[in-house]
Amino acid sequence: MKNKRALFAVPYVVWMAIIVVIPILIMAVYSITTEEGQLTTENFTGMGLYLSVFTRSFWLAIIATVISLLIGYPVAYWMSKEGPGFQRVAMALIMLPMWINFLLRTYAWMSILENNGLLNQLFQVLGIIKLYNAVTGQNIEYFQMIRTPGAVVLGMVYNYISFMILPIYSVLSKLDHSLVEAAQDLGADSFEVFRRVILPLSLPGVLSGVTMVFVPAVSTFAISRLLGGGTEMMLGDLIENQFLGGAYNPHLGAAISMVMMVIVLVCMVVMNHFGEGEEQAVML
Amino acid sequence: MKKRPGIGGRIGIGIAFLFLYMPIFLLIIFSFNQGESSAVWQGFSFHWYAELFHNRLVIESVATTLLVSLVATAISTVVGTFASVGLYSMGRRWREGLMTVNNIPMMNADIVTGVSMCLFFVAFFSGWGSFAGWVNSVQHVIVLPDRLKLGMATLLIAHIAFDIPYVILNVSPRLRQMDKNLVDAAQDLGCTWMQAFFKVILPEIMPGIVSGALIAFTMSIDDFVISYFTAGSSTQTLSMTIYGMTKKRVTPVVNAVSTIIFVVVLVVLIVNNVREARLEARGERQHRDHPKLDAIREYLGSPKSRWMKRGVALVCVVAFVTVVSMLTAFTNSQPVVNVCSWGEYIDEDLITEFEEATGIRVNYQTAESNETLYSLLKSGGADYDVVVPSDYMISQLIEEDMLAEIDYNAIPNFSLIDDRFKNLPYDPENKYTVPYTWGTVGIIYNTTMVDEEITSWSSLYDPKYAGQVLLIGNSRDAFGIALNYLGYSMNTTNEDEIREAYNLVKEAYDRGQFQGKVMDEVFQAMEGGNAAIATYYAGDFLSMQENNEDLAFVIPEEGSNWFVDAMCVLKDAPHKENAWKWIDFIASTDSNLRNMDYIWYASPNTEALEKYPEWYEEQYEEPLDEETYNIIAAPPETLERCEMYVVLPKHIRELYNELWIDLGI
Repeated sequence: MKNKRALFAVPYVVWMAIIVVIPILIMAVYSITTEEGQLTTENFTGMGLYLSVFTRSFWLAIIATVISLLIGYPVAYWMSKEGPGFQRVAMALIMLPMWINFLLRTYAWMSILENNGLLNQLFQVLGIIKLYNAVTGQNIEYFQMIRTPGAVVLGMVYNYISFMILPIYSVLSKLDHSLVEAAQDLGADSFEVFRRVILPLSLPGVLSGVTMVFVPAVSTFAISRLLGGGTEMMLGDLIENQFLGGAYNPHLGAAISMVMMVIVLVCMVVMNHFGEGEEQAVML
Repeated sequence: MKKRPGIGGRIGIGIAFLFLYMPIFLLIIFSFNQGESSAVWQGFSFHWYAELFHNRLVIESVATTLLVSLVATAISTVVGTFASVGLYSMGRRWREGLMTVNNIPMMNADIVTGVSMCLFFVAFFSGWGSFAGWVNSVQHVIVLPDRLKLGMATLLIAHIAFDIPYVILNVSPRLRQMDKNLVDAAQDLGCTWMQAFFKVILPEIMPGIVSGALIAFTMSIDDFVISYFTAGSSTQTLSMTIYGMTKKRVTPVVNAVSTIIFVVVLVVLIVNNVREARLEARGERQHRDHPKLDAIREYLGSPKSRWMKRGVALVCVVAFVTVVSMLTAFTNSQPVVNVCSWGEYIDEDLITEFEEATGIRVNYQTAESNETLYSLLKSGGADYDVVVPSDYMISQLIEEDMLAEIDYNAIPNFSLIDDRFKNLPYDPENKYTVPYTWGTVGIIYNTTMVDEEITSWSSLYDPKYAGQVLLIGNSRDAFGIALNYLGYSMNTTNEDEIREAYNLVKEAYDRGQFQGKVMDEVFQAMEGGNAAIATYYAGDFLSMQENNEDLAFVIPEEGSNWFVDAMCVLKDAPHKENAWKWIDFIASTDSNLRNMDYIWYASPNTEALEKYPEWYEEQYEEPLDEETYNIIAAPPETLERCEMYVVLPKHIRELYNELWIDLGI
């Protein structure tokens, strides 16, 4: 310890030990025991049954992360090139939706995507449905959007895209512009500049954005329920189901949670390897 | 100079914001809607805002949310700031190790954090229970409470736990940017290390603290998953209230609340932005570090500063005391009864009336299905007094010794319950139950979407209706219906029969017969004409029909399930006396009439059941449709075709579970 001020951290270290570390240990104990308290590995070996839930969760979360990146990166890039006033307002506008409960926002999407919802009504008015029927020779009255995997992905992108934009923006806005100028002076065209200067420098932001979208997306349970119509079971639903849902089995739930935690730890290690991305993500 | 982006960039940003704000605008627009729909505009009105002030559930959950978020933010900002300074002052190795632990709650999926904390609290409570029992048995000076439950306190702890990392991550970089010589210089000038902290470090890292607190507060407000697992049964945040509603119907009242919050935050942001822009324009934000050492020198010699400091401290103390007293006033003091029932299963005026008559506060919560209720009870997080499970679940709860024998002397209105609903197989000696409602399950269909009269379960599996059918979202009903259709008993324990029923459902499921697997979501789907056929409860059909006249109901020719939901008191209920009062109140003829009218489920109260058509005519000045009455209270010849569920043996329940999960994946 360097000096007395290090003691300031003592209460927090004690707190972390009790509230962060011990619960995880308890969860670990749950995951390797049965209801009767005997040791078992069944909770992990039996997880094979849910392989399709794992693959679905990962698959949808990966798609959502990629889409968020594809939308979020350009937005962050354009924002970082605007004037300071514009940037400040844009930042505020990105934070603002978080003040409306995410369940309500997702619920609003339900009324947009329903078979009789606003989007289908719009398509009807614009004649798009008629056009589709004429072109494909089918006879549909609406596009089935809600209760599909696509709707779940949309919900994820919608809810988590801010977590992609913020860290990338934060890195880009601190970018040393003289590097760009130097590259230009050395004859790089704008694509070259982007590919060889801007993109590599913004990688920490991208990585932290990717983790911050991927982790909540892979574990979501309310979004899949609201927009997926209960048929697109995801890891989050599976865990919730073991604790507060129909299939009461906290030991299995704990085991699945442990697996998820390991995945997150791997993500963290990978990220730490590339630098201090995470910290930028949550800074205003 | 930086190159400004072209018009393309601005359009891109514009489209992204449109995407981000489209649902929000929609939500705001529909908070002014005359009707209850969130898709059809029925005229402008402020009445949801007026209603907001009468909706106790929403108001209380907003208050809980704000209180928890504010207190959690305040505590975590202080703790987090000190912790960051402490961590900053440590050696590199220590710091990095601790920072990794610090990142865990933030990086972990919310659900993992929530689950681990829930398990921790429950384990701690049971440990505490034995400890307190032991302490109370060896001494009688202090009596320790031996039953702790999830609630406001655990919710607060959980929120603090996930807020602190955000504060630390915002403060730490500021510390690293700080000129270390400043601290040394201050100490050379005579500051103690404590003073150096307050005079030099704190002002330097203030922007980080502010943004950390802001993010922590936002995260607290927005959180749902962690609260969901740690708040228990008697505390509800706004997110949890909304989650409960999204299953059935979200009342536009919550749209109104959100609109108000949105506007307030918007105004704050605008004011803040304008202020910052002004400061920036004046250049006041630059170079404010340089005069700092002079200021310290001056400060150390000034007596005024002491008063300033004391003033600030006083304000802090007053604020803290207010919050704490609010917190305690909020959490206890009044006698309460905790009730857990199903969604939209009571005329809510009855709750207010009971509270006014007895002074007992009713914490009214809802569960989604019998199986969910069972999980809630088993996980130990809930402290309900009265629950309203269905027949088969009651037998299971009795079997597992979870129910208390009811003191019928305290419930005189029990005598009004029809003998048909007493001593039923689930409670043969009628020691544990007072019936609440009874009813049937049937097919609900949209007459404009099918071109025949539906009379059989077969239409659920008919490829003609592929993608138009909603499967009922619990294993007992879904497989029970299939068993019934195949001509087997709904209570069969023959595994082959159950598997046959499963195969029937599975085969239909795999070819896309079912649009979704729903419980209370069925309301929105059927009312909006988004699905043609569903199976649900008769009473709920009548509620749906009020909003969509094209719906029809039938109890199929094969027969169906009839059920009784009854009020039970849990063995370890903390407020048994209040529970008897509540049950007696609900069993009265007047309550039964009003409940029946409100939820359209049949009453087990003889008088209420008989008098209802008359009562209806008096209330609404038009006679009650006989068909409607027969749907509410199925006539005996229909009931003869129906079967009541009985509890299945454990291995069959496990089979149901396994098959059910197998279906979903």
